[in-house]
Amino acid sequence: MREDRYLNISDVTKSYPNPFGDEIAVVKGFDLTVTKGEVISIIGHSGCGKSTVLNMVAGLIPVSLGGIILESCEVIDPGPDRAVVFQAPCLLPWLTSMENVLLGLRSAYPSLNKTEHEEIAKYCLYQVGLDGSLKKYPREMSGGMQQRVGIARAIALKPKVLLLDEPFGRLDSLTRLELQDVILNILDLQKITTLLVTHDVDEAIYMADRICMMTNGPRAKVGRMLEIKFPRPRDREEILEDPDFYDFRQELLQFLDDCEAEKEKKKESELQLV
Amino acid sequence: MKLKHRIYKLIDISGLQLFDPVARLFFREEPQVQIKRITQFIVIPILAFGLFLLVWQIMAPRHTTKSGEVPKPGRVLDAAKGIWTFHNREKEKSIAFIASSDEANKILDNAKNRLEEIESSLIPAQDETIANLEILEQEWRDKNISPKIKKAANIEYEINSKQNSLKTELEELAGSIKANDKNAKEELVLRLEKLELQKSKWKIELAELKGTISILESKKYPLLERAQRKKDRLEEEKQYLSVYIGILTKNRNSKVEELNKKLVDYSNSFYAAESTKVMSSAKRLVRQKTRIEKTSESQYSAAKTLPYQTLRSLLCVFTGFIIATIFAIPLGILCGLNKTFMCAFTPFIAIFKPVSPIVWLPIGLIVVGGFIPDPENNALLSIINKLPIFSSFDVNPAFLASAITVALCSLWPTLVNTALGVSSIDVDHLNVARVLNLRFRERLISVIIPSALPLIFAGLRISIGVGWMVLIAAELLASSEGIGKFVWDMFNNGSSDSFAQMFVVVFLVGGIGLLLDRIMIVFQRLVSFDETAPSV
Ligand SMILES: Nc1ncnc2c1ncn2[C@@H]1O[C@H](COP(=O)(O)OP(=O)(O)OP(=O)(O)O)[C@@H](O)[C@H]1O
Ligand SMILES: [Mg+2]
Repeated sequence: MREDRYLNISDVTKSYPNPFGDEIAVVKGFDLTVTKGEVISIIGHSGCGKSTVLNMVAGLIPVSLGGIILESCEVIDPGPDRAVVFQAPCLLPWLTSMENVLLGLRSAYPSLNKTEHEEIAKYCLYQVGLDGSLKKYPREMSGGMQQRVGIARAIALKPKVLLLDEPFGRLDSLTRLELQDVILNILDLQKITTLLVTHDVDEAIYMADRICMMTNGPRAKVGRMLEIKFPRPRDREEILEDPDFYDFRQELLQFLDDCEAEKEKKKESELQLV
Repeated sequence: MKLKHRIYKLIDISGLQLFDPVARLFFREEPQVQIKRITQFIVIPILAFGLFLLVWQIMAPRHTTKSGEVPKPGRVLDAAKGIWTFHNREKEKSIAFIASSDEANKILDNAKNRLEEIESSLIPAQDETIANLEILEQEWRDKNISPKIKKAANIEYEINSKQNSLKTELEELAGSIKANDKNAKEELVLRLEKLELQKSKWKIELAELKGTISILESKKYPLLERAQRKKDRLEEEKQYLSVYIGILTKNRNSKVEELNKKLVDYSNSFYAAESTKVMSSAKRLVRQKTRIEKTSESQYSAAKTLPYQTLRSLLCVFTGFIIATIFAIPLGILCGLNKTFMCAFTPFIAIFKPVSPIVWLPIGLIVVGGFIPDPENNALLSIINKLPIFSSFDVNPAFLASAITVALCSLWPTLVNTALGVSSIDVDHLNVARVLNLRFRERLISVIIPSALPLIFAGLRISIGVGWMVLIAAELLASSEGIGKFVWDMFNNGSSDSFAQMFVVVFLVGGIGLLLDRIMIVFQRLVSFDETAPSV
């Protein structure tokens, strides 16, 4: 029971006041249950509220209504059990990659000593393929490398949930493919429950067990869920050859188009009302 | 890294970007661009400064004051050299005072030789030169100055005699007018009025003439003036040498030796003394012993030279600056972190920031005076005076008051900038800190302070500039030893030489201010983590 309701986002609403004091619900009645070890992609149009949902799970912004429960504890504050990788790497520029990873470890594992912390940090940086750049400062690294450090910093916390907010959004497509595989490898090894926000349809299919399609905001919610039944570990070429892949793809694109069409309709009807 | 790039980096880090094009030109990197940059950033400023010197050279003699002519650049340079020589001589004297007898004898010979040379050959030679020049001066004066003076005097005489003759003429006229001749009387009044008008014009003209004459009279033959200055310097050196020799022959060691000899006598007479005299000779013995002890610890009390005063001012400014920093950074961090605290503190910043040092100083003096009623035996002062650097500067309440004034005036830029730096920290970085669940201490050390550091250092840079500016005024008012005191002494001295020395101080203060600023810029660059360098 616990296992398949590991992370439960139930009926969550987030509203912001507009300049006239009215509450505008950006997300309304967002419902999602995640099994332990599952990877979920969240896809939707820009500005629909994907980051908002993710930040609520991270505890960075409070929910207006509803609740988020992780392993039978309600989420209120940010904490190291929910590691976030932001769209920008967000490294501290005055610390080396090693120190950036170490930073969170001290409060995540207060019982371990310094050498053990360093061991963990080194291992995580090795996992993302950065074992050669332990002493480099962020300004000396490319965007891709910086994002790798960001990923290492997140997985070093051994989080219950890994939250990725368009982690490859600012990278070129080659680096993006590389990093997708880096993350998939780690996920296959450690079986971390993951929410991945993305714009990229192929990425969503390749990475996820299930895809959560969000309707357009305001009052965005889960529009449809799509199960991706490719076996793990996954191989990109195999998946690209699989005919199911194109069906999934078609379905996603169809959904996004529908959303867009609905938006147009709404606009028109609003115009007619005026 | 190649040598060349290492040099570029060194230039960049050390804050000497000015010389970057020179280095690049040296390595033949885009010579055209570099030459353009060199002209722009090095040649033009040098030319401008040269122009300034030229204008100064021309303008200075036109303005005479009660302290003599405004000194020309050359005079100022001379004055600077003079200050430096004086400083070195004082140093020599204090070394001579504590030298052992062997060393003293060794330098004594040199000094005596030099004195001999000055007395027997240099001064007479200079006298001769001066005598020759005086003849030349007379010629020069006869040719260039006297005719002008004569001309001016002639005009003066003419005006005076014209005035007199007109006056007598009118008086005669008045005497000859008959009682009922109305027309003649009216004419007289008219002429009298005209004369008055003319007189006031003449008055101005006469005053001008007098001015020209006195300027002409005070004009000196440049060569003679220079020769006289040279002789003055020789006389100064002679005087110094005789004092120096005096110190060498009767310095600390010789004094102690003499006293020791007496001590032997005293102790002999003590042991030989009869019972009635035992007490008095014992007292004498003890007194002699303490005298010896004191003498062997005594130091030559050197005059306070400008280099000494400068070091003291620097120490004072750093003391004030450090006091300010100790308060400003933590307060700034608190203000940046906590809105409530910021709101509570804003009125204080707003009210105290614009207060001038001239107001803080008397308050500082009174407060310090209250805490230290008796400077001679005060625990705090004696502790400060035992600290390594402070020990050689004789810290007194005026010093502390000046330092506190500096602190109070230079506190604000750092405080405000720190608060700004802390409160404008990147939201992303704060989010990272929140996600990683950093404790307050770690958040402060690893995230907040590093990201605020560039702004903190920008604040410190402004602070030290303000502090240095304020300090001179504070010292001048508190008559605390330091550059300010030096300027004040020079002002009261009022000779043309001290006028030149004040100009030296202007350049000294400016130069040190520039240096402090550059040092702070270097620090600021070292703590900036982005590629964007702070503007210069
Ligand atoms: N602090 C805020 N106040 C008011 N409105 C906000 C605030 N933060 C976000 N919003 C609104 O919430 C909506 C959703 O924003 P969100 O960043 O979650 O979108 P997104 O799906 O992540 O978009 P993108 O794909 O471009 O990142 C946006 O329309 C935005 O205007
Ligand atoms: Mg977003």
